[in-house]
Amino acid sequence: MKKTKNAGWSLEASMQRLNDIVEKLESGEVSLDDAMNLYEEGMIISKQCMEKLSQAELKLKQIRKDMDGTLKLSDGIDEQ
Amino acid sequence: MNDAKIFSVTELTRRIKSVIETSFTRVSVQGEISNFKRHSSGHLYFTLKDEITQIQAVMWRSRAASLFFTPQDGMNVIARGNVTVYEVRGQYQIDIVELSPRGIGELQLAFERLKQKLDGEGLFDPQHKKQLPKYPRRIGIVTSPTGAAIHDIINILTRRFPCLDVLLYPVKVQGEGAAEEIVRAINDFNTFGDIELMIVGRGGGSLEDLWAFNEEIVARAIYNSKIPVVSAVGHEIDYTIADFVADFRAPTPSAAAELIVPDRREVIEYIRNFCYNNERLVENLIKSQKQRISSLLVSYVFNRPKNMLQQHNQRLDDLQRSLQQIVSHTISIKQEQYSSLHHRIISLNPAAVLKRGYAMVYRNGVVVDRVKKLQPRDNVSLHFHDGDASAEIKKGGS
Repeated sequence: MKKTKNAGWSLEASMQRLNDIVEKLESGEVSLDDAMNLYEEGMIISKQCMEKLSQAELKLKQIRKDMDGTLKLSDGIDEQ
Repeated sequence: MNDAKIFSVTELTRRIKSVIETSFTRVSVQGEISNFKRHSSGHLYFTLKDEITQIQAVMWRSRAASLFFTPQDGMNVIARGNVTVYEVRGQYQIDIVELSPRGIGELQLAFERLKQKLDGEGLFDPQHKKQLPKYPRRIGIVTSPTGAAIHDIINILTRRFPCLDVLLYPVKVQGEGAAEEIVRAINDFNTFGDIELMIVGRGGGSLEDLWAFNEEIVARAIYNSKIPVVSAVGHEIDYTIADFVADFRAPTPSAAAELIVPDRREVIEYIRNFCYNNERLVENLIKSQKQRISSLLVSYVFNRPKNMLQQHNQRLDDLQRSLQQIVSHTISIKQEQYSSLHHRIISLNPAAVLKRGYAMVYRNGVVVDRVKKLQPRDNVSLHFHDGDASAEIKKGGS
């Protein structure tokens, strides 16, 4: 099966992590060292998300069937 | 009657067959379907009946393929075709060329019957509904490549959340074979394409146009899909069986696109807020830590050592001061003692006495300090401050 280009990075997981960081920092129960680490991690994740979100372009592919019935992907949409 | 011809069964059947088949071509008959069976060969066999009588019906696979709906028991239909005789059994039947529901009401009834049946089986139960991913990366769309639906969906996804891979599985969405193609697409997406959810749908149309989405096989394929399915069929007012069984019903294809992804601007706004709050939170944390440190610095406990030190310093200063006083006092006393001794010593210097006109008497180098120590004719020396003189004692001391 073809792997997605985004494999390994997910906006879903990143957003979840950002939420966790906010909750931890807001709880006020983290040490200054931990807070600095969380802060740094949060900023890195934010930057990644922003890059992905602002650079992204919708990628369209169409599923095709070979003569022998195997499925393939081709770019764009063929309206024939 | 005696000269009546005696037929063989075959001859008789053939006579009947030719009479019937030439008299009942292109007939239309209206009746209710019962005993509906789809043979594995693809041919359809059923009975058409009314309150009193019934007739066998057959629809060959090639013609059945053009049906936009799957016939069901109880459905009132109009069948067009030819009456034929099946010689082997001596049975007449209608060979259907075209079959249609007797009216829109028939489709609605079929819809209700299937809905009840599937509902009874639990296919619509909320606990079977799968969660949609909040931020899908890769989605599938099962629809026509030429319809309005795919354009609407792509337009909205491009505007709203273009961070997506979209796979289109092109299918017929109406007419013959549409339901089968939709089923195959749903099944294929479960093993191919690595998608996180799929939209299954089409744009608006008549009840007949939308009928594929009311087919039982489509409903079961949606139900059996491991990947969440969003149904998006027709307009807001159109409800199909697919809508009931799907994990999520979108009223229209456009609405499906809105529903499956967040608005990118909102996500960016969220992240901006996060960055702002993140900085604020950490700044505040640092500020409060600083305050803690400075409040500790001025606290009584923290300052006790400092106070003690200051007190010791003060005490040390005091001691030093009194020590200095004592020492300088002692020195001045000693100085006074010294100077009085000095004066005394100076006053005791024999030379000074001699200067005043005295002389010292020595005999044999020894000072004679008593007159009785002298005898007549003793030779003595007289020691003046500026020199010595010799003398003889005339008369001794008594």
